[in-house]
Amino acid sequence: MKDKIESILSEAKARIAAAADENELQKVRSEVIGKQGSLTLLLKELPKVDAAERPEMGKLLNLAKNEVTELIDSTRTELKLKASEVSPDFDCSVPGVMPMNGGLHPITQMCYDLNDAFRSMGFEVYQEDDITSEMYAFDKLNFPQNHPARESMDTYWLAGHDSGSTNEKLCLRPHLTGGSVRYMQTHKPPYRFVYPGRVYRNETTDAHHERAFFQYEALIVDKDITFTSGKVLIKSILSKVFGTDVPVRMRSGFFPFVEPGFEIDMQCQVCGGKGCSVCKHVGWIEVMPGGSPHPNVLRAAGLDPDEYTGFYVNIGLDRLVMMRYGVDDVRLFHSADLRFLKQFR
Amino acid sequence: MKLSLSWIKDYVSLPDDADLKKLAYDLTMDTVEVEDVEYLGKRFEKMVVGVIEAVNPHPNADKLRVCTVDIGDGESKEIVCGGINLAAGMKVAVSVPGAIVRWHGEGEPVEIKKSKLRGVESYGMICASEEIGLGDLFPSKQEAEILDLSFLDVPAGTNIADALDLNDVLLEIDNKSMTNRPDLWGHYGIAREIAALYNLPMKKIEPVKIDAPSDFKVEIKDIDRCPRYIGVEMDGVSVKPSPFKMQSRIWRVGMRPINALVDITNYVMLATGNPTHAFDADNIEDHITVRRAEKAEKLLLLNGKELELCEDDLVIADGEGAVALAGVMGGAKDSILPKTTRVILEVANFESTGIRRTALRYDNRTEASSRYEKAVDPERCDQALALSVEFFKELYPELKITGYCDRYEKKLERAEIDVSLTWLAKRLGKNLTNDVIQAKLEKLGFDVKIDGDNMHVTAPTWRSTGDISIKDDVMEEVARMYGYDNFEATSFTTSFEGAINQKEISLVRNIKEYLAIRCGMQEIYTYPWMNDTFVNAVMQDTAGMLKLSTPPAPELSYLRSSLLPNMCEAVVKNERYFNEFSMFEEAQVFTDTDYTSPYDSTESLPKQRRNIAASVASATKDANTLFREVKGYLEYMPRYTHMEGFTFRKDVKPVWADNVVWQNIYVGDVKVGDLGLVAKKVTMDCGIKNLTVMVFEMDTTLLKPLISRTNRFTHLAEYPETDYDISMLFDSSATWEEINSIIAKKEAGPVKNASFVDEYRGKQIPAGKKSVTIRLTIGSKEKTLTSDEIENAANSVMKQLSKRMGAELRTQ
Repeated sequence: MKDKIESILSEAKARIAAAADENELQKVRSEVIGKQGSLTLLLKELPKVDAAERPEMGKLLNLAKNEVTELIDSTRTELKLKASEVSPDFDCSVPGVMPMNGGLHPITQMCYDLNDAFRSMGFEVYQEDDITSEMYAFDKLNFPQNHPARESMDTYWLAGHDSGSTNEKLCLRPHLTGGSVRYMQTHKPPYRFVYPGRVYRNETTDAHHERAFFQYEALIVDKDITFTSGKVLIKSILSKVFGTDVPVRMRSGFFPFVEPGFEIDMQCQVCGGKGCSVCKHVGWIEVMPGGSPHPNVLRAAGLDPDEYTGFYVNIGLDRLVMMRYGVDDVRLFHSADLRFLKQFR
Repeated sequence: MKLSLSWIKDYVSLPDDADLKKLAYDLTMDTVEVEDVEYLGKRFEKMVVGVIEAVNPHPNADKLRVCTVDIGDGESKEIVCGGINLAAGMKVAVSVPGAIVRWHGEGEPVEIKKSKLRGVESYGMICASEEIGLGDLFPSKQEAEILDLSFLDVPAGTNIADALDLNDVLLEIDNKSMTNRPDLWGHYGIAREIAALYNLPMKKIEPVKIDAPSDFKVEIKDIDRCPRYIGVEMDGVSVKPSPFKMQSRIWRVGMRPINALVDITNYVMLATGNPTHAFDADNIEDHITVRRAEKAEKLLLLNGKELELCEDDLVIADGEGAVALAGVMGGAKDSILPKTTRVILEVANFESTGIRRTALRYDNRTEASSRYEKAVDPERCDQALALSVEFFKELYPELKITGYCDRYEKKLERAEIDVSLTWLAKRLGKNLTNDVIQAKLEKLGFDVKIDGDNMHVTAPTWRSTGDISIKDDVMEEVARMYGYDNFEATSFTTSFEGAINQKEISLVRNIKEYLAIRCGMQEIYTYPWMNDTFVNAVMQDTAGMLKLSTPPAPELSYLRSSLLPNMCEAVVKNERYFNEFSMFEEAQVFTDTDYTSPYDSTESLPKQRRNIAASVASATKDANTLFREVKGYLEYMPRYTHMEGFTFRKDVKPVWADNVVWQNIYVGDVKVGDLGLVAKKVTMDCGIKNLTVMVFEMDTTLLKPLISRTNRFTHLAEYPETDYDISMLFDSSATWEEINSIIAKKEAGPVKNASFVDEYRGKQIPAGKKSVTIRLTIGSKEKTLTSDEIENAANSVMKQLSKRMGAELRTQ
């Protein structure tokens, strides 16, 4: 009997050790210590055993039973720790299910980035209407009466409002600066504000020209500002947009509403200023016009140009976004084409 | 504009070893943008003069020849060529391996390599003029004609650039950067600026005195439009080629040499910036008159365009009628012809904006008009005249000036400006000595008188046509001559008065971010004008809309009064690629109503609102699902964006909406927008094929941002609350609004809230009925309710609904 017990026990141990799952353990349990299990059956045979050996056999049987029970329990715990609810073939490399994927327009993203940068410098965000009068689009900005931009070839005039004196003629704003005059008229200096918005030009469109595009104007007007303060402003903007310190240079430029006027260049971010095809081998890229508001503009806003001066920049958002992402056709921004817009998150 | 450095050097003593990179940089920083510096000779690298020693037939090709050519390296080369004018002794341009050419002057540039042509080894290529970029300078008269350089007195092997004296440097200037500087349009003007920048001596073009007593006269009828007109009548000219140097210079800067008479006028314009014109004198009847055109007066231009003029146009006329469009283009009648022997040279000044109007009116902008429209100063006629006469005399030694008339009727006045030196120092942020300031300005041609704090500045004539007019202009001149790079960046100080708190601006941003990030919509931008197709489909009616007088296209004239027509157009565009998508746009909308004058009492602006519109389009979801989705976006929006909540009512059906599925959106008593299903008829008219489209549109200016986060804390329920679902049968037309309001009236009781779970119409439900499942939240502040108490509360709700709405408990 002793041999039988030992052989059952060792076989049971081997089977438990080899068991891969709960089912196999249950099978061992019922075949060894279940009602018809091999050990149980042996236990039933105990009365037939020689009385002298009986206590020892009984003890051996109980020990064996306990050992199997414990072994099954501990193996079960072990198996549970190792187990998974699903098949081991579960493929974790499959992609996740996306939440609904919307996004802001890349121009809006750029605009909000800039708003955040300027707000941190104490600038207000200003917003104005798209339709304006010739008086605010041109007169107040020091455009001569016969400036070419006033003609219908460049500006979208409204039917029924396209003749008469300049306060009667209405157009889609050709630039934002007229709105800045409105701000200055209705606020007290010093001024510190940004003014994002869309402007409209009657042009033939191609990959680099659009009829509707976005500008971002920043204006600071105070008593003790020289045009060199503009450099600080520009560097702050560009470092926000490109994430690094970007060298800038200001060079002579002409716009009716500033004096002096500048073209502001940034170091080409593609070649680091060494010269490449993107910057036409000059190492610099023109990013925005700027300058001190023309005395006539300040006067139009009700300020004394001998007392106040300032600095202004006007950033073409479309151009900056094109540089940021390498977009090569400006018309895509107004295409409402989701295949394009979904690329910007 | 392209400029030739050798030409500039005619007028300023720029040292031969001048650093051109620095010159380009300095011009860019201080004056005009130099976009490119090109070494012209580089185009002709590995191209040499070859002398053909023998021309033999090609063994395998009838049209090819095998030439033996001396290219000056001591060893004759065999070159295969298909040229028709090959001859022994002829000098030709040979591109040796490594040269860059264009086959037959077309297509991409290719590099010449040693190669076999039809089995015969060929060392390079004997070129036609257009193959090495000289087509305009040496136009070939027929196909496959080789450039004949036999006129050159140079040995074989001479580089082509050396042989043709083409080792020049070309500066490409961005025209935009000099629109305000009419004085710079021409080599002479740029030379003057360089002389000022580097303090170099200028080689001036001195005015010439002409004495030709005769009855030749010129008449100016509108001196505002033509301040000055010089006519010179000359006899003894002929049509012949101009000297190679003149042709070459004209060609280098991008124009085409024609004949000596035309070339002189172009050369003078390119040199001085003052356009000139030559008429065939034999075709001028009586005398030249500068006058406004008569209404509907006809003029046939040189380029064959027949114009019907208007009274705003300025013409040059003779006794018979208009002969030229002043400052724009000559007429066909008096143009230079092969038989021309007598010319009248025009050296004139025309007012800028009139020229621009005329050039644009007839879509006929020319080299001349683009210069006049920048406002050329009338004094410049002196240089243009002097240079013209010099060339005429040089090219036609027999020339006789038979008539001369200079009508300078409206004298240019030099701009005079007083500048305070204290003011100047403050604006510059730098103290420059009076001597420095004076020297910088005088170099530019200004006259300067300093008296105490006052500096009296008189601008040179060439800067007095509008360019320099106020003291800030003078400040700019000083600053740029000092060098913008030499001013350090200075920081500006802040005066802190309070935090920036712009709730309306933040609200719109919050809404956009909510729709994009929380609701998964994509933001789009569309144009402010609408396509008529979508206006008609969506808006039905154009009453009250504003219109453009010169729209981008005839069908794009209406300005949007709603964002929905363009939104529907965007849906159509994207339906090709997606079967489920959602978009929104925030933009200005316009109506021809409610004119106000918020800034200036004389101005009157139409009502302009800012709307936000969204669309959710799906090919699979039904209207019910979409409606609840979109309405959910709206119901949750106020919480996310901190604004007053919306209510929804059915008051006025939007024109584009389905007859059943729509609601108006309210904030308090103010209607702020609409929500609804785009009607089938509308989607069909738009060209939407399979999509169900739900949209909303709101006026963001009517939304009310909360002052702060204002809602109050409520205590957590002390005793448990139970959700208890009831399903009842209602008439199919019953609304949740009504059901909810009936339950809400019992608020004092243990029913705290009722929420909609779902509704069902279908097989198990009798016709004309629907089953609505309602979730009641039942609880008490005083104690834990027993199940009997809970059931009683639910039963009393059901009784109310039965009594008030005839609802029945749904039996399973």
